[in-house]
Amino acid sequence: MKYLLSLNIVFILLLTACDPVKKSQLSPSGKGSFKIPEWSSPFLKGFEKALFHTSLDVAGKHLSGISIIKRTSDTSFHFTFANEIGMTYLDMEVFRKTYKADYIFEALNRKSFLKVLWSDFSMMLFSSSERKPVRMYLDNESEESVYFFLRQSMYTWINTKEMNLTRLVGWSNYFDAVMINFSEYDAGFPSEIKISNPRIRMVLTFSLLGH
Amino acid sequence: MRTFKIFVPVMVLCFVGTLLQAQTKPLSSADAEDVRKTISESAKTTNSIEAGFTQTKELSVIREKIISAGVFYFKKEKLLRWEYKEPFPYLIIFNSNKIYIKDDDKENHISLQSNKVFREVNNILIGAVQGTLLSDTKNFQCSIADLHNQYQATMVPLNARIKETLSEIVLYFNKSDYTIDKLVMREVSGDYTRIEFSGKKINQSIPDEIFVIP
Repeated sequence: MKYLLSLNIVFILLLTACDPVKKSQLSPSGKGSFKIPEWSSPFLKGFEKALFHTSLDVAGKHLSGISIIKRTSDTSFHFTFANEIGMTYLDMEVFRKTYKADYIFEALNRKSFLKVLWSDFSMMLFSSSERKPVRMYLDNESEESVYFFLRQSMYTWINTKEMNLTRLVGWSNYFDAVMINFSEYDAGFPSEIKISNPRIRMVLTFSLLGH
Repeated sequence: MRTFKIFVPVMVLCFVGTLLQAQTKPLSSADAEDVRKTISESAKTTNSIEAGFTQTKELSVIREKIISAGVFYFKKEKLLRWEYKEPFPYLIIFNSNKIYIKDDDKENHISLQSNKVFREVNNILIGAVQGTLLSDTKNFQCSIADLHNQYQATMVPLNARIKETLSEIVLYFNKSDYTIDKLVMREVSGDYTRIEFSGKKINQSIPDEIFVIP
């Protein structure tokens, strides 16, 4: 029984320690029933394709160039990232539950890296308010509403004035957290997107060139 | 009527096929060797090139194009400056064994010794501009065809490292001055990048300072 109790304490501590969101930044809000705003990834409603100035920093390496994200069906996107001279770094199809790598530059061709990248992309591209959040908070700094979705292990920041998604924070396991920031909205689409994944020391930034 | 329906498309196909053949005429090995020598001789007298360029990256799977443009400078022996202006400012300087990249506020220094991808890119670009790529029989199998006002040199990589990325490089040399008009790099994935040069200024003075790596 003692062991079970210790195990539980360790597990709770582990959960708390690995939570990627600082709880001090959030105030509980909307106790009981609360109204859930309709939101979805900017890549879902009416999105066809977008061209980005892109940089990828991973494990101390810096790559830059141009990328294109194109919606290829209701359930898939195509992502291509090439350097300025035109040589392809990454060419992959992203589905909600899997991915297909068409071409990967040798230095990036690591299964573990691609899996994390796909998981982050899946969150960025496919997230929406289809499931009910279990908790609502208020961000003390930005005063944005924050919703926590237990089943997706994801926090969502919504600017309720503009009804824009500004941040997603989630994790696929307790050691793998990702933060995706959407900013500089213009006509309903963010001009700047930044994906940070500390597990693999990755920062991927997208600056919109056209869509 | 049915025969007519079949006959017309077949005739159109034959006509288009003949037209394409007439446009691209493969040279015999003796003629190809002459062209190779002429391009090489001409390159010896080309000390500098300044040109505008338009780069088109064609993405085969999603049928999309990414278009960039800027100014290109070359100075003998191995100085290259690619100054992209569209769709965003970006600068690459190849100077001897070093590469300098400026992307927004980020500056990056790369050694050609340590980065094999940039080393290959540098060799291809310098070799294409100087025409020496045509004589690189160790790394490429080359065939030359005669177009209306250009020579088309198709380079198939033999080197395993280049073959991992590129399936073919096609160079188009202008018949009037034997300088490069266009460069097409076909990737293994089926994507290709086409770089077209315009407004070429040959052997005009280009200050060394623009190739200096800060």
